[in-house]
Amino acid sequence: MSNKKAAPRLAVTDLQHKYGDRPVIEGLTFTLRAGQAIALVGPNGAGKTTVLKCIVGSAEPAAGKILLDGLPIDERVEMVRRDVATLLDDLDFFPDLTAAEHLDLLARAHGNASPEDLVDTTLHEIGLLSAADQLPGSLSSGQRRRLALATALVRPRKLMVLDEPEARLDTDGVQWLSNRLIEEKKSGTAILFASHDPALVESVADSIVTLTPLP
Amino acid sequence: MSSAEGPVVFDPSDYGAIPTSRALRQWMRTTRRRHADRSFGQIFEDVYLVLFTLAMVGATGGNVVHHLNTNAARCTSFTCGELSHWMPWIVVPLLLATTIRVLLSVGPVSASQATGFWLLATPVNRASLLRPTYRLVMVVAAVIGFLASMVVWALLGTQFFGVVEAAALMAALLVCTAAVTVWVQQTAQRSRWALRVADLLLVAAVIPAVLLAAQPNSRPKAGMTTTTAVMYTDVVDDYGFGTALIDQPAHTLLPVLFGVLIVFCIALVVVTSRSLDKLTRTSVIAGGELLAGLAGAASSLDISMLADVVAGRHWRLKGRAHTRRGHGSRGGALVHREFVRILRWPRRLVIGFALLVVPYAVAGAGFDALVPVAAGFAGFGAVRPLMDGLRSVCRSTGLVRALGMDLRELRVIMAVVPGLFAILWAALASPAIGSAPATFAVAAGMLAGAVRQASARPPSYSGPLVSSPMGAIPPGLFSQPMRGFDLLLVCLAPVLLGISSTWVLAIPAFVLAVMFAVRPKTD
Repeated sequence: MSNKKAAPRLAVTDLQHKYGDRPVIEGLTFTLRAGQAIALVGPNGAGKTTVLKCIVGSAEPAAGKILLDGLPIDERVEMVRRDVATLLDDLDFFPDLTAAEHLDLLARAHGNASPEDLVDTTLHEIGLLSAADQLPGSLSSGQRRRLALATALVRPRKLMVLDEPEARLDTDGVQWLSNRLIEEKKSGTAILFASHDPALVESVADSIVTLTPLP
Repeated sequence: MSSAEGPVVFDPSDYGAIPTSRALRQWMRTTRRRHADRSFGQIFEDVYLVLFTLAMVGATGGNVVHHLNTNAARCTSFTCGELSHWMPWIVVPLLLATTIRVLLSVGPVSASQATGFWLLATPVNRASLLRPTYRLVMVVAAVIGFLASMVVWALLGTQFFGVVEAAALMAALLVCTAAVTVWVQQTAQRSRWALRVADLLLVAAVIPAVLLAAQPNSRPKAGMTTTTAVMYTDVVDDYGFGTALIDQPAHTLLPVLFGVLIVFCIALVVVTSRSLDKLTRTSVIAGGELLAGLAGAASSLDISMLADVVAGRHWRLKGRAHTRRGHGSRGGALVHREFVRILRWPRRLVIGFALLVVPYAVAGAGFDALVPVAAGFAGFGAVRPLMDGLRSVCRSTGLVRALGMDLRELRVIMAVVPGLFAILWAALASPAIGSAPATFAVAAGMLAGAVRQASARPPSYSGPLVSSPMGAIPPGLFSQPMRGFDLLLVCLAPVLLGISSTWVLAIPAFVLAVMFAVRPKTD
């Protein structure tokens, strides 16, 4: 574990969430510091994705506090959108933009000075260089997943929030992902991810938060 | 800076000023133009076709409305007076309630999921990104408000300038409503309150409709001219709300009222426009998903699929329901399950029963000959939403296999509960409809029509296609919207034609028997 004395990048205090009257998360508290990774683990329906959604503003917590660098996290604030790279299951593509153009768009939207170089490097790293000109409809599900992961690399990030990033990746892909996340930690990025892959959790996570389904 | 061979290295200094939304949209336009597979000529042809169609429809519709306006203006009967008096009190709250409900179900400011991820999740100014959609919502609200009220007031026989003034007022009112719904969209709590307000407005629209429906006992015989009617046409002047304006000359009060409303409207639109950055990404995307689904259904002219999209969204938002154990076995179990399922969305039942006011209102207005048709269509609207179960079964061969029954048998079973509702509904509408055979025809028509529409196959593009000026289309595409209504009209035809009671009973009975005997087609 690194930067133990620094202020937490993400602080979640007594988080609660309900679907109707039924609580799915109760009293969840943890802190995540820069250069640290926390893995959320637990069976299906335990609330891993819901926790991540609450953090990125896609779901409204019933109670609790979520602070990013000491301030309440709100995705409507530009700085939050700049600093938090998110990969949940809400990714869709423009049908008429190629893989490379999608990354180019994202890099430009984040103010990157030379998006062409960055996109080429990213496509090379994720093994999609040959698919750069393909439209999303012609990409395989694995390629789409790689492209989704690449979105985190063409933008600034202080915090990465990833929901099962290993899903639909082949063995080499999972290995690359593991190495990449370790690199991200070294560069100071805080990572919060949900996963069902014990090997990925073991290699990347500094702490593990285990969620269990509430009765 | 990154090099193409090595891994991506994150350097914060690579990221500078955030571009404007205008610059980003310009980049997207330029990029998309490179993939364009249609020439300017082809696009122009399409635009020309759309404009030509709009002009034709506008001219025809305008002519019809003008003709009806002339006829209505000459009408001095008690019925016309009643309609002129009551209709504005029904139409205005109804339009407002519908606007609030429809706009909140699609956003009103919405964006596709792709836009949500690739643009709205970036630090680019959100208000600026959403402003084009916001303007579109305001324009659509204004156009719909203008056209809808123009048609209604024209049909009431109002003079030309009165129609235009009423339409302009209504357009301004709907723009204000749309702006308020954008403010409401910013929090879930506001949305809940706005939906309650919409419900109250709906009740406000039902009250005058009920009063109109309660007229038959007190009104003079149809066609009789009364001094009251003459008074109404004078007092109602051009706007319908004449009684409120009796003490004040309308032509001095209205421009002032209109001016105030326009200023208020502009201020509201501008203020709301500046608060677009308070919209959450989730609230914006949800409407976009619904619109995309509705657009897909509309492109195949499939009314049932439109209903599916709305119902699917309702259940997704609801998320959870209290599990209730089943009863019986085989067919009985399915009937019980359908009953429970229908009770799970009580609003539909409430609206279904509220639609009973339609035949009574038509009867109350004195249009006795139209009562069976009005009852048939209102009953169709009441019973069709209860057929989601049949719809799911007919759309899924896997579900039919899992249930282990023939689709014909399943169609009968799934129609039992809606059928009972149809009988009850028709029985309650019976005093307005008049005779027992006509009531039977209405019940049979609404059930047969709703079952036929709910069990319709979607148009298949995988089979043979027919060449048309719009490109290749599947056979039967254009008959798709009529599906269901055709059987309703066949059942009502003997009533409308005034032939003997035997035929009024026999034809709908035959239609029902044939429909339930035939196995629905599947893909």
